[in-house]
Amino acid sequence: MSVRRKGPRATFVRVGTYALLIAVAALVVFPFIVAVSTSMKRNSDIFTYPPSLVPRAEVTVSDAERALDGNTVYDFAERDGSWVLVDDDIPLAVFAPVGGQADDVTLAADAGERTGDIMVVDGEDVFLIDVDGEAVEATRVRLTVGGLFEPIDGGDQIVELVSAATPQREFGPRFENFPQVVNEKNLGRSLTNTLLVTIAVVIGQIVTSILGGYAFARIDFKGRDKIFMLYLGSVMIPFVVLIIPLFQLMLQLDWTDNLVALIIPFVFSAYGTFLMRQFFLGIPSEIEEAALLDGASRWKILWRVMVPLARPAIAALATFGFLYAWNSFFWPLVIINSGNPDNGLLTLTLATLGGRSSTDTNLVFAGAVIAMTPPILVFLFAQRYFVENSATSGLK
Amino acid sequence: MSAVSFSGVSKRYKDGPKAVDSLDLTINDGEFMVFVGPSGCGKSTALRMLAGLEEITEGELRIGDQVVNDLPPGDRDIAMVFQNYALYPHMTVRENIGFALEVAKVDKKQAKKMIEDAAELLGLTEYLERLPKALSGGQRQRVAMGRAIVRSPQVFLMDEPLSNLDAKLRVQMRSDIIQLQARLGTTMVYVTHDQVEAMTMGHRVAVLRAGVLQQVAPPQKLYLEPANLFVAAFIGSPSMNLVASDLTVDNGVVTLAFAEHRVRLAAGAVERYPGLLERNGSEVIFGMRPEHFALAGDIDVDDDQIIEVQVDLAEAMGAEVHVHATLDVPPVSIDGEMIDPDADSQADGTRVIARIDGIHVVAMGQRIRLALKTHLAHFFDPTDGRPLR
Repeated sequence: MSVRRKGPRATFVRVGTYALLIAVAALVVFPFIVAVSTSMKRNSDIFTYPPSLVPRAEVTVSDAERALDGNTVYDFAERDGSWVLVDDDIPLAVFAPVGGQADDVTLAADAGERTGDIMVVDGEDVFLIDVDGEAVEATRVRLTVGGLFEPIDGGDQIVELVSAATPQREFGPRFENFPQVVNEKNLGRSLTNTLLVTIAVVIGQIVTSILGGYAFARIDFKGRDKIFMLYLGSVMIPFVVLIIPLFQLMLQLDWTDNLVALIIPFVFSAYGTFLMRQFFLGIPSEIEEAALLDGASRWKILWRVMVPLARPAIAALATFGFLYAWNSFFWPLVIINSGNPDNGLLTLTLATLGGRSSTDTNLVFAGAVIAMTPPILVFLFAQRYFVENSATSGLK
Repeated sequence: MSAVSFSGVSKRYKDGPKAVDSLDLTINDGEFMVFVGPSGCGKSTALRMLAGLEEITEGELRIGDQVVNDLPPGDRDIAMVFQNYALYPHMTVRENIGFALEVAKVDKKQAKKMIEDAAELLGLTEYLERLPKALSGGQRQRVAMGRAIVRSPQVFLMDEPLSNLDAKLRVQMRSDIIQLQARLGTTMVYVTHDQVEAMTMGHRVAVLRAGVLQQVAPPQKLYLEPANLFVAAFIGSPSMNLVASDLTVDNGVVTLAFAEHRVRLAAGAVERYPGLLERNGSEVIFGMRPEHFALAGDIDVDDDQIIEVQVDLAEAMGAEVHVHATLDVPPVSIDGEMIDPDADSQADGTRVIARIDGIHVVAMGQRIRLALKTHLAHFFDPTDGRPLR
């Protein structure tokens, strides 16, 4: 029980504490929010200025009568109202009035009428164009393509450069990014592979750690403690040191470019064995003796009594094993042939997806979000086991 | 139900002394046997050997006609209640009680009935679906008992099952266990360090010290005829007063001298302990239970059976008063160990406690005259602790 302090100073401290906690939480959560938001944006939406945390889609109109089918709606800085882009392939020309006093004018490419006289201004033909009902002499500076815009409520169409218009945007997440990245970028296969490898590694680790941990904790055999020290010692060896011997071993076994190479070496976990041993040691031996007297075999005791009591430890072990297997990158990079998409893993595929030649930023983020969802779910699920009562609750 | 017999059973831990030293003991079929002794005396080890949780170093252990030395615990058809109950925390009361049946692959329907019968016997019916953590200490204790009785084993083993309960519940459970055992008629081996439990519960009590069996006898006999100095000192509360005294025999009259006191023994004492007559001029241990004292005016005794002492402390218990006094004699020890664990080995005197009638008001520092009922007293050899019978 905690005693709540009172008074203005305590209130100030508490408010300050919460403010600080919220600030840190926001700082930590922000990149995550950006990733999720980007994963649902269109590629064109990612680099808009000002940047937006909310995915926004361009507003479109469909109207069968006016032959509009998902046409984009634009705003013009100098015109009122909303305009629908009817055709974006109108040939345009930019005319510069002779003399240079007036602004350039953009008109349909064939708008200008060539003057009868052959006038040459800096080697350019001179056209007579109509500006506000007045015929003006101008040179054609540039030929381009423009858009044919129509007011959203119908009316006279105008021709304008598309770049002069800004598309209207509204909230619109693009969920298609996810199936797209899964189907087009081989993420689906990688996801399946990663899931398979991870589940196999986690189950394997749990089973071997339970068996090993129990033996080290409770079965008296010759040299037990020496073997255990050796086992513990192996935790001290960094993985990078093991890569070459392990690779050679995989070569001997002909397991290179094979998912087995990602599973078998990792189902034996010295750390997990240690964790389970420590937990089993903490379970009062009387509980086990009671089960022995009840006629249970060692095997039965292990699975019916010890394992259910060790759930918090198993949840911890499973979570760590899951995260490790799910996020492992270097060993798969070494052992899996990058040219073989059938054996791709999430981490590998994501790395290629976000590589030099990547243009689909939204798809990279969609892939990242897919990759990080399972670990988050696993963590949330396992969390309640971490806080579960310890095994001694049946005593005294 | 079966008898249990230890013949020459010893337990030696690696590089240690013997925890149990050639124990010879037969526990009869249906008997309630209590193992009692100070901590580390080997009583729990003996029980655990019987349970099969400790290997037997030497000797032979039988349950019924079968030698069980190498039989695993599950095959011995015994059930045990542990000091901390050792319930399976993740199982409900029903599953806890039924686990042994599940292991033995008892028919589900039959098992259900057996569990419910056991639960009813122990008043646990309404708690069957609860987890142990939702139970009180006394209820957990009963679940542990239920787990033991559901299989109707040949022998019940109990390792200090009441020591985690509060005093009131302990008294209640004590009588419950006695009644249960009487009702089931199953052989029971009960380990305790509490002599009140030992005295009240057992048909017979085995007193152990440092792995050696001191005496096996019904409680009353243990109290009245202790087989040695250790049993005399251990059984009884407050414990027996032991005073080293010089003995003289003059014409068949035995006189003890300790500190400034001289006490003539009543004829009854010599009758019960004829060995006294052969000890002229030697030292004996004079053992008086607290109730062997009375205030001089209360009983009719001669002056030479009265000692005058100064009261160190008087505890009024209601029906009686416990008077503490110190005699100027070195305290008694066995094999260099103090008999009374509370005694101060550095103290010069021997503390005696007398139990006198509660009608008297005794004040600290007062000098009182205590009459000694020497015909009830005990006498031991100071070297080997044997009674001088």
